[in-house]
Amino acid sequence: MNREGQFLKLEQREAYAVELIDVSTYYYGEKRPAITDINLKIPVNTLSLVVGPNGAGKTTLLETILGLLKPRRGRVKVFGHDMAKRAQLVRKMCSYLPQDFMKDSDEPFLVKDVVAMGIASNRDLGRLGEEDWRRVYEALELVGMLEFAERPVGKLSGGQQQRVMLARALVRRPRLLLLDEPFSSLDRESRRSISENLLPDLVESGCTVIMVSHDLTFKPTICDLVVRMESGRIVEVAEA
Amino acid sequence: MISTLLLNSIIAGFIAGSLCGCTGTICGRMRLSTIAFTMAHAALAGSALSLLLGWNYLITGMLFAVFTAIILGPLSDILRISLDTASMTLFSIYNALTFIFLIMSPGPTLSSEKVGGILWGSILAITPTYLIILITISIIYVMVLQIFWGRISSILFDPRLAEAEGVNVKFYTYTLLILAGMIVVFTLKITGGFLVFSLLFIPSATSIQISRSLRGMILTSSIIGGLSSTIGILMSFILNLPVGSCIVIGAATIFAATSIASSIIRSRVIEGEGIEVGS
Repeated sequence: MNREGQFLKLEQREAYAVELIDVSTYYYGEKRPAITDINLKIPVNTLSLVVGPNGAGKTTLLETILGLLKPRRGRVKVFGHDMAKRAQLVRKMCSYLPQDFMKDSDEPFLVKDVVAMGIASNRDLGRLGEEDWRRVYEALELVGMLEFAERPVGKLSGGQQQRVMLARALVRRPRLLLLDEPFSSLDRESRRSISENLLPDLVESGCTVIMVSHDLTFKPTICDLVVRMESGRIVEVAEA
Repeated sequence: MISTLLLNSIIAGFIAGSLCGCTGTICGRMRLSTIAFTMAHAALAGSALSLLLGWNYLITGMLFAVFTAIILGPLSDILRISLDTASMTLFSIYNALTFIFLIMSPGPTLSSEKVGGILWGSILAITPTYLIILITISIIYVMVLQIFWGRISSILFDPRLAEAEGVNVKFYTYTLLILAGMIVVFTLKITGGFLVFSLLFIPSATSIQISRSLRGMILTSSIIGGLSSTIGILMSFILNLPVGSCIVIGAATIFAATSIASSIIRSRVIEGEGIEVGS
């Protein structure tokens, strides 16, 4: 069975996409943890919203889930895999949209190439085929950026760049999608379209979505779990 | 005899220049310019040590360059200083060591042909064996880029995001740095240790002005690097000047010409847009 097949089989068995058990993460050289004693279970095929004020530890939580930050205490499991041992492999079925992603105007990367990297970074060898490029253009169309495919990404506005990065996250067809403030630079219409159409469709198709927002009033159309964070701790987990 | 030497030099110069242009662009994109700069001077110190000990300068230079690439990251972590600070500290140490090794070398030092070759380059040092090794390195380099392009371009765009997508960023970064070290050591023979860095970064700076895509940048910087070397070698041969200096003058001339041309084109485009808007 190939690697993808193994993951599919595993995912069917696992009830939780993400499990954090007594997790505390520190930044290098810091004496105080950025997140403390986190216990959280995110079921598969759900959309969870992590809310809290700036500095609550929301981004640290996402980066700890992905293994980009190593927890000093506790365990992180994604689809049953221990991230301390298998982070690199697990990340191949995840997508991450970082916060405030903005490239300089002289960046030599075309929009279509940036999206294509989402597929290429999962490949061992070789060039992308016709089918891959079809996926790239599909993803760009989904976020309304198809007409900008040949433009350098640095020449786009913050909101447009954010949509390109969303296309890159989607083109990977992830099983776990981590979105860090995905709407921060978007206009109201784009927010509505993504929140009402795109995210529900993703969850419907079998993806687990974890979205971070500092906007306490914002809530997507469908939302299964709301996790409230303050000062690096989870203060409330509510089923929506 | 002279024509064979010149031909070998031009071919070797073009290949080394292209490799330097390409690796300069990649290192620049990876924000590793200062590391590459330090590696170039590490190779110089290694080569100077080889003169003192009578060893093969390619091996010693390569060991120094690769060692630098490997230790810089952990060193900055242990000392809790930025990578740039660690690079510049090592750069100063390597410069000091270079002069100590050269002064301590047996025989007439700074005026000797061997020392001159290491410091400011020499086309006399280009042998058929050297040419074959250079061609082999360039084949390996192109193959690595071609095979792993998807992951490498992802790292060049954003290493943190590439890591989040499961790319082994450390592995590819070190592979590219080690290859850069090899290229620097081999180019050192042509341009000399003090000027090899210029051939890494002037073609890269030129390509930024004429290319919109990463592939375009790599391609143009390779061509500009190759052309600079060819012009420099011919200039050195005709005017009997140090080859390294002539190559850098060639690269700088192309850079200046491109800058002027691109600014003229840009101002015309803006003018055109202005007329369109006005009408």
